[in-house]
Amino acid sequence: MTALSRAARRHGPAVLFVAALLGAWQGLADLQVISPVFFPAPSRAFEELAFSASDGSLWTSAWATIKRMLGGWLLASAAGIVIGGAIGSSRTARDYLEPTLEFMRPLPASAIIPVAILFLGLSGSMALAVIAFGAIWPVLLGAAHGFATSRRGLRDVAAALEFGPVQWMWKFSLPAAMPDILSGARISLAIALILAVVTEMQASLPGLGYDIFMAQRSFRSAELYAGLIALGVIGFIVNHGLAMFERRVLSWREPQS
Amino acid sequence: MAHGHSAQDLMRPAGSAQPAMSVREVSLTLGGPPGRLILDAISFDVRQGEFLSIVGPSGCGKTTLLRLMAGLMPPTSGEITFEGAPVRRPSLSRAIVFQDYTNALLPWRTVSANIALSLEARGVARAERDDRVAALLKKMGLQHAAAQFPGQLSGGMQQRVQIARCLAQQPRIMLMDEPFGALDAITRQGLQDELMALAADEKMTVAFITHDLEEAIYLGDRVFVLAANPGRVVEEIEVGLERPRHQLLTREDPRFLKHRHRLFGLLQGH
Repeated sequence: MTALSRAARRHGPAVLFVAALLGAWQGLADLQVISPVFFPAPSRAFEELAFSASDGSLWTSAWATIKRMLGGWLLASAAGIVIGGAIGSSRTARDYLEPTLEFMRPLPASAIIPVAILFLGLSGSMALAVIAFGAIWPVLLGAAHGFATSRRGLRDVAAALEFGPVQWMWKFSLPAAMPDILSGARISLAIALILAVVTEMQASLPGLGYDIFMAQRSFRSAELYAGLIALGVIGFIVNHGLAMFERRVLSWREPQS
Repeated sequence: MAHGHSAQDLMRPAGSAQPAMSVREVSLTLGGPPGRLILDAISFDVRQGEFLSIVGPSGCGKTTLLRLMAGLMPPTSGEITFEGAPVRRPSLSRAIVFQDYTNALLPWRTVSANIALSLEARGVARAERDDRVAALLKKMGLQHAAAQFPGQLSGGMQQRVQIARCLAQQPRIMLMDEPFGALDAITRQGLQDELMALAADEKMTVAFITHDLEEAIYLGDRVFVLAANPGRVVEEIEVGLERPRHQLLTREDPRFLKHRHRLFGLLQGH
């Protein structure tokens, strides 16, 4: 009972706000200020969602987009941790890599798409490459910062226990950099979802982004909004999942801050 | 310098022919050239099984001296040997207890996992680690904190964890850098007595750095006094107080007070 009322108190305002928003949307659509061809009522968008869920097309598209997003994000995270770790822990690596990276970082990932298409064609691997390129920066910078933070005390401990460089990385540096890496990874994940949708639209790859694009082109506005709702739900769930993972992995930080 | 040796010689453990550690004409210059002379031709032995206190004012280089003894940094000149072999790098056989426990413990590891770190370093098999850790937790009174993270513990408890981790190394000498310097007086006294009991139990050889004169005398078999600018040994005393010692009685003993008076003057007046 108390848990229920606590949940109600905590999430009540947010639920109320969403309800009010949907109500306003429905009201505006019912007034038909804008033609329903461009602006469907939420009831129609949810009907469309339910329909595509029942015939399975929603799940196929959503899964394709999720796979693309996660694949690109994992690639970005792995590369970001390795490169960021190198920059953060080695002066030499930083001197070699940093200027180039600083040049590449401001490039919009969408501007990379034509280049990626030239090299990889209109393929899933092209999408992965673009997503990884665009999503790498937050993890990379987080890792670079996390690894660069000086930890002389821990270095002494590692030396006193005769740990070599590999064990220093694995047992000391990486876990110490974890908070910075994870906060970067969460931003990267949001970017990965954006780029998954963009590449689908640009390269006609199957997924929610392509569905939305096609719905817009053929004036099927209810379908378009259904796709947007699905994307929002995916982003929400994935972000929460990662936040929960972060809280678990970083539970040691809670008492201090 | 030293005085009244005969009585104390009898109290020394047997087999003390070769010193555990020997520091010979060790100097350290930092920066430069010409640089700043931090330690000036320091020579002394740490005897097998003794509790050696090294006391000095802040800035006298006592922490630096301990780092040299640990092998964390090399001296500019002179030589340090441990059990006859030159000290060139840190070794698991020489455990170091750092003053700053918050930076010496791994905050993302539980108390048990922090202690297990030493066992990992020694290559102790995973199956064996749990038993060893459990024994050390019990010895240091940390059973209830086993699953907690360092950040959840008081300073005294964290320092206990660090000492437990050092014991897990099974070192042949403990190098302690003002381990109780950051703790409140009550906690400090408790840990002093625990450390002495532990040292007696395990027949440990200890080199103990402190800026607290009373602590140096209370814990030590011998006390070295360092002076600053440059750091050098200016006095060496045999404490000669019976063990086990007692926080009140020992500190009221006329011999304790005599040492205190003598060293107090040295630390103040130069």
